[in-house]
Amino acid sequence: MFFHNFKYSLLLLLKNKSLVFWTLAFPIIMAMLFNMAFSDLESEDKFDVIDIAVVNSTDFDNNTIFKKSLESLSEGDDKLFNISYVGADRARTMLEDREITAYLVFHSDDVKVTVNSNGIEESIVCYVVEEIKSDCAVIMDVGTQYITSEIAKGNYDIDYEQYFTNTANDLLNHSVNIKDDSSSKLSYSMIEYYSLIAMTCLYSGLLSMTLINYRLANISSVGKRSTISPVRKGGMILGSLAASFVVQLFGLLILYLFMLFFIKVDFGTNLPFIIALSVMGVLAGLTFGVACAVLLKLNENAKLTALIAATMVGSFLSGMMGITMKNIVDKNVPVLNWINPVAMITDGLYSLYYYETPDRFYFDVISLAIFSAVMILISIRGLRRQKHDSI
Amino acid sequence: MKTKIIEVNNLTKEYKELKAVDGLSFDVYEKEILGLLGPNGSGKSTTINCILSLLKYSEGNIKIFGKEMRPDAYDIKRDIGVIFQEVAVFDELTVYDNIDYFCGLYIRNKKQRREHIEDAIKLVGIEDYKKFYPKQLSGGLLRRLNIACGIAHKPKLIFLDEPTVAVDPQSRNNILEGIKKLCESGATIVYTTHYMEEVEQICDRIVIIDKGKIIAEGTSDSLKELASIEEKISVEIDKIDDETLTKIKDLLTVSDAEYQNGVLTVSYKSGNDNIAEMIDFLRSNNLKYNKIYSERPTLNDVFLELTGKELRD
Repeated sequence: MFFHNFKYSLLLLLKNKSLVFWTLAFPIIMAMLFNMAFSDLESEDKFDVIDIAVVNSTDFDNNTIFKKSLESLSEGDDKLFNISYVGADRARTMLEDREITAYLVFHSDDVKVTVNSNGIEESIVCYVVEEIKSDCAVIMDVGTQYITSEIAKGNYDIDYEQYFTNTANDLLNHSVNIKDDSSSKLSYSMIEYYSLIAMTCLYSGLLSMTLINYRLANISSVGKRSTISPVRKGGMILGSLAASFVVQLFGLLILYLFMLFFIKVDFGTNLPFIIALSVMGVLAGLTFGVACAVLLKLNENAKLTALIAATMVGSFLSGMMGITMKNIVDKNVPVLNWINPVAMITDGLYSLYYYETPDRFYFDVISLAIFSAVMILISIRGLRRQKHDSI
Repeated sequence: MKTKIIEVNNLTKEYKELKAVDGLSFDVYEKEILGLLGPNGSGKSTTINCILSLLKYSEGNIKIFGKEMRPDAYDIKRDIGVIFQEVAVFDELTVYDNIDYFCGLYIRNKKQRREHIEDAIKLVGIEDYKKFYPKQLSGGLLRRLNIACGIAHKPKLIFLDEPTVAVDPQSRNNILEGIKKLCESGATIVYTTHYMEEVEQICDRIVIIDKGKIIAEGTSDSLKELASIEEKISVEIDKIDDETLTKIKDLLTVSDAEYQNGVLTVSYKSGNDNIAEMIDFLRSNNLKYNKIYSERPTLNDVFLELTGKELRD
């Protein structure tokens, strides 16, 4: 009986053009729109590699810390500078010909930055040079204190060059860490993609609600026919849920494939976690749809409207339209987000970025599982021995 | 003695102030076709829905196959088939798939189900439309599909709630013939309608309902005996004056006469061959008529006499 129900539930969903659109096509259209709207915004925030020149000199060669710092900034995929090591005249010519943004000239321990105009790239060069100068001062200061203390202890056998190199490396590694942290912050478009995933999960309630309405005598004529059949309601619900689950997972799969391969969204190492959370989110959305269908004493359209409205309000409170709202609710009425499945999904997604351990993520996954189980139980209880005042 | 398939005792259903069903009691016997006849809003469908445990009811008890009917009485439901007034099929499924889906809720064995589906399709005469979608069918064919979905699992007890509403004559005849065949094959049938011709045509017994109460019960002939008229003669005539109409009313066996829309209707208290007397009267009064015919009293006359209104009011 389960497979009979499952098979026909699947057929009913896949042949319903409107549901197919909202489940399969709409999220993809939204992802496409987000990509068009936000990719430009973010590309404006990205800086191209800046071409600079360093004027060759003995002073530069002797400034090990500065030399290593510039080398590290001109290496790798995320390098900041393209550096040309040239003579002073050539550097001037390059600047005039706009082949470079700036050139650096070393005099003793000092560095002079020459630019041709004011702009973001020029500002970045100046800022970075000032930062390195500041780091050099710190290293020199710490180094002087270290050497003084070692001499005071009677230790005269100090490898100065090795010491300064190690200190410089520590500082550079520290800088690298800072860079990694900044790149892991949630970008605006990622928040929108996560919102889209969460919304897609929760709108799976539309699928389950449609199927459950087919089983309710007070909603549809086929519901009357199903109700007088000798099939237990629990079995019917499970068959319908399984079919809705498969259709929605298929919808999510298409969405993920589209985001990964067409608009090239980079989920990084979090992808398996995000997929796991969205599967649980689909389950929560489906069971929420079932509960709304069973418990709300409204007509079919009013139920659908109520489901959409509840999801929208849940989304708003969980911070989908700005994370500030989630913080306000967490601070003032935390119980709202404890029972809000949208909040469980968004909290789980954000936790991947804001917490170092996955405890919070697992807590959200388990919360979604408990929410789904509760929805199923109250739905089955609501359907058992159901008689209506009027149909 | 015939076995009771349905026992309804003192069934009462109230909607706030309105009593939709008021202390209804009746039995349905094995292999009979029971007609529930009454005008729209008389409580026929409400009665069916209460019997099927779809609706809560205020008072009374209902037994089907000797057992109390409840929403979770799956052993009873297994042998029931229902054809509702409104068409209950899925627009997304083909004719065959619709029947297969509903039949599959009762019968798991695929081979047996296929045979049952073919039988149902043949019975209602939609063999040529198996792959059609409901939206591609005419009203009559849709009603036939509706019936096939309700009876494909070969139930022992079938409820048909006004299955011929808005159906063309050909489909209506097909449906009524199908119902007779179902009864002949051993099913017990409860048939609700407000078409008196249909109950006269197919029902073994008739329960007439008005305002939620049973006002008469019996076979078609026994019910007609309740009418105070024996014969009704209709004469299509262009014109008749009040004096002539009074003369007709004064005839010995005439109980009533009226002239409306070019038709003179004369009701007789007794006798069943009053047409000759009426023809003599028309000749002697030099009245030219177009057509004259005689009718036995109908269930509508019974209903009119018992309630003071027509069945289709």
